[in-house]
Amino acid sequence: METDAAPQPPPTPAMLQKTRGQTLPVDAHHQPLVLLELIQRLKVRDVMTQEIVSVQRHEPLWVAQAAMKDKHISGVPVVEEGRLFGLVSIEDIIRAVEGGYIAQPCGDYMTTKLVVLEDDMPLSFAVQYFDRFRFGRFPVLNRDRALVGIICQRDINRALLVELSAEFNRMEQTVAQINGHTAKIDANTYMLREFPVAKYDFENAGKAANVIKAAMIERKYPPKIVRRVAVAAYELEINLCVHSVGGVLSWQLSNGRSEVIAKDSGPGIADVEWACRDGTSTANEWIRSLGFGAGLGLVNVKRVSDEFEITSQLGSGTIVRSAVNIALEENK
Amino acid sequence: MNVLDAITVLEAETIVKGEGLEKTIKHVIASDLMSDVLLVDEEDMLLLTSLASDQVLRTAQIVGAAGVIVVNGKSLPSSMMQVAQDLRMTLAVSKFPKFDACIAIHQYMTK
Repeated sequence: METDAAPQPPPTPAMLQKTRGQTLPVDAHHQPLVLLELIQRLKVRDVMTQEIVSVQRHEPLWVAQAAMKDKHISGVPVVEEGRLFGLVSIEDIIRAVEGGYIAQPCGDYMTTKLVVLEDDMPLSFAVQYFDRFRFGRFPVLNRDRALVGIICQRDINRALLVELSAEFNRMEQTVAQINGHTAKIDANTYMLREFPVAKYDFENAGKAANVIKAAMIERKYPPKIVRRVAVAAYELEINLCVHSVGGVLSWQLSNGRSEVIAKDSGPGIADVEWACRDGTSTANEWIRSLGFGAGLGLVNVKRVSDEFEITSQLGSGTIVRSAVNIALEENK
Repeated sequence: MNVLDAITVLEAETIVKGEGLEKTIKHVIASDLMSDVLLVDEEDMLLLTSLASDQVLRTAQIVGAAGVIVVNGKSLPSSMMQVAQDLRMTLAVSKFPKFDACIAIHQYMTK
């Protein structure tokens, strides 16, 4: 994001969506999923340098120059009480030397039109920003607008090499265990998928659960685990289709557990306890004629889950979370 | 008994030959309520139903059914064949009423 002295809020996902694909140097449809997952999973805070070398506004430019020389860096943020006021770049120093004002305060000659990143942005944002703005570094702010780090392309290269190395190790382990053997359940495996589900879209309802099941079978998870996760995902997907105005089904594999979350934006459930009882349903005859709406869905999700949670409010939305502990099951 | 045997017993017409065609069947579930089918924990099963919809196939895939036989001679929506092919799920249609189909399968399995 660009900022003039006072950093502005980050762009919305919709704004970034417009630039995505234009600036991200990978094709989301044809690149290996592992790479896309990696740059989505890693946050800017995981990659940035947290040890910030900074100067204050009243300090002369030669202080910034000395810091750059000592620390082998090409830009120094101007910070006071944690707040970012500007940046002195090596170009600013060259101009100060040529102009003979190297002893003047940083505050008078610093760059104030800044582009900054937020620490909880996915790394993909940083990759896009480096491609779009051609700057050598970006200051990183937290949600309180305080400067918490600096990120440069070298940080990204280093982080990606480390993560890709770990990922290749995992892939090599998996390949070595294929040929009929059950794959090792790796606590480091991470996957995230999101599937939009539209109201009454029975043509597509169930596809997300089918995809989730196929992904787990491909990774050779134990059949019983696959079945439990698939049943939970399917029931929740059908619920979104039948009962909500539409929502999103997400599935995440991390730390040896699977978590399926169904989130919708309405209409909400008046009595959650009643809705979770066996045989209670608000489904109409049409839905029943399609084989659903018997009031068994949430009960079944609860049955196959190690952890089950539902929160809802009439007039707003419902969130249902079903977690299955894969590592625990594997050790049984 | 495998799915192929069940198709023969029920004089069914095979619409799609899927991966589970020759898989040994240990359980047969007869239901028109997919919510009930999802409650079944048995693997290696065959689904008999008089419900002709794509969701029958998706449900069968989720519970790991070896095949689906639609009974009562129901005419299938055109999308069902495509979904069965996509899911590699064996799909057949029998003119037997569901009750008679259950009796015939039971007699074959216990003979």
